[in-house]
Amino acid sequence: MSTSTVTRTASPLNQLVKALRNAHVQFIVFGALLCLLPFLAKAGLMRNSTLSTLAFVLIYAIIALGLNLLLGYSGLISLGTAGFVGLGAYLAAYFQDDLGLGFWAALLAALVIPTFIGLLVGFVSLRVRSIYLAIASLCIAEILLKTFEQLDWFTHGTAGKQSRFPVLFGFQTDRSTVFIIIVVALVLGMMLIHNTVHGQLGRALHTMRSSEVAAQAMGVNVLKYKLFAFSMATLYAGLGGALYLFFLRSSYPSTWNLFMSLNIIAMVVVGGLRSIFGTVAGAFVIFAVPELVLKKLPVIGDVAGLPYIFSGLLIVLVIMFFPNGLKGLADLVVRPFRRRGQAPTPAPSQPETEEVAPA
Amino acid sequence: MSDQEVLRIDHLSISFGGLKALDDLSFGIFDREIFGLIGPNGAGKTTVFNCVTQFYRPDAGDVFLTVDQSRLSGHDRQAVDASGQARLNLVGRPVHSIIRLGLVRTFQNVEVVKELSLLDNVLVGGHVDFKATMAEQLLRLPRARREEKLYRDKAMSVLEFLGVDHLAGQLAGGQPYGVLKKLEMARTLMAEPRLIILDEPAAGLNDTETEDLSQTIRQIRDNYDCAVWLVEHDMRLVMSVCERICAISFGKFLALGTPSEIQGNKVVQEAYLGEQE
Repeated sequence: MSTSTVTRTASPLNQLVKALRNAHVQFIVFGALLCLLPFLAKAGLMRNSTLSTLAFVLIYAIIALGLNLLLGYSGLISLGTAGFVGLGAYLAAYFQDDLGLGFWAALLAALVIPTFIGLLVGFVSLRVRSIYLAIASLCIAEILLKTFEQLDWFTHGTAGKQSRFPVLFGFQTDRSTVFIIIVVALVLGMMLIHNTVHGQLGRALHTMRSSEVAAQAMGVNVLKYKLFAFSMATLYAGLGGALYLFFLRSSYPSTWNLFMSLNIIAMVVVGGLRSIFGTVAGAFVIFAVPELVLKKLPVIGDVAGLPYIFSGLLIVLVIMFFPNGLKGLADLVVRPFRRRGQAPTPAPSQPETEEVAPA
Repeated sequence: MSDQEVLRIDHLSISFGGLKALDDLSFGIFDREIFGLIGPNGAGKTTVFNCVTQFYRPDAGDVFLTVDQSRLSGHDRQAVDASGQARLNLVGRPVHSIIRLGLVRTFQNVEVVKELSLLDNVLVGGHVDFKATMAEQLLRLPRARREEKLYRDKAMSVLEFLGVDHLAGQLAGGQPYGVLKKLEMARTLMAEPRLIILDEPAAGLNDTETEDLSQTIRQIRDNYDCAVWLVEHDMRLVMSVCERICAISFGKFLALGTPSEIQGNKVVQEAYLGEQE
């Protein structure tokens, strides 16, 4: 937008509102607000346990963002997310504590190795579709889970792997700093997903989901884009795993089971397929609401497996009444306030192109 | 129309479980020609399309496409002749590599992405034009942004050409059928093809829209300098817009000629037109 006259006459408030329309600015503002939470906790305005719950919400949000690319945009199903998250966690622990290579090496290992394994797995399993892909991914997760239980030198088996807060730039981190690392990772993750889905890549994924034959006719190499989506999902899973370990400082094989994978799918579905903020909201609803609210209710608060009942019910309700999840609900609320004539869902990538400077 | 062939179908045969869907079929389409393929239901018209675009692998026969030098890459460059073109056999090539060679198709039951805007749907047709790598796009580096802007403008002009630019920002889902048909055509034009295959473009359109369509087909040929090949049930459209027509029945060649020749052809009348009256 090279309209200098507009910027000159615009009031600071207008400029602020305009800047907030940019998705990347929204992500950064969101991240900045989240960074205030540890200080609230330090000031005693928030319980430490609440901060922990929110940290896990953000970690799950990262993992769910990756899965949303796979499930929402590409229309591929995976029941194996938890396996790759666990792999990321164990790799981070192994590289940080056993090999003593420090934070960055641990993070890199947790990103690269699961992605690479994801690519290999995808190369074989992405040739089958829908329910068969779900079964294949489930098998892989189960194989990983058994490996975590048996591979003692790597995972310490069922006794669990213990770790510690990482040292970053010679500085010993604590709960608060790791929380901020998680926020930074989430914001970067949101930006990357945003860039992915608004542009040629995203359109190719959309077309592939909508019709594989049409995608092929338009020159989309379907296997390549499926592999891309699959490896992105494993990348985010690995990242989530590493952050999980850095924050919790321990990892047990039983954590990385099918229920975790299903919960992450629930986050994507409840939050809204193909919505970035929706996914974060979904992670909050699925993980934090049972922890912070339901467990404190009388009578039903003591029911075993309450979170699963809750997320199961939510999935059913969302699929029946709100196929677009929380994102759709938000649109419904916002719609009356939009200017007339504007499409209910603004065309993707419309706002971004306005800032593209003709180079 | 020129006398150079853009597409040559040569002794094409395919069978599905003993049923011969195409039987030794041969014909050619000239550059900048509006060509029609007709035949009774089940004659194998769509099968011809699918064999040409490599969705099906023919059992026998070849499909030759004349391709400009500028579209070629790698090994195919060696096939270029003195006129700066190459005649490539499409059989055996991956489906997604065909559009790059200048051949693009629409679908009988419009296949557009409902969740994307019209503009984004058209941009899908420019998929192979993007040079920016995945990494460049993920990080939104200058080249990726420049290309996005460039092709966005191009897609807008294609929508304008087809008279649906006022809908560019709206989602494809929920648009009337006529708009979706135009959208599919816009998507093919985005690829600047040398040959467009329209699979039953008039299906589901009302009379006014069909008349409008024959106008559009001519405009496409004139403005985009490409050949248009349509498979169609609507006889009025085929007879009014096509310069030459090929008739097939049960996968076999019947006749090839101008609309009036085909209308007067006894064999065709028996196999197809006769049935209608």
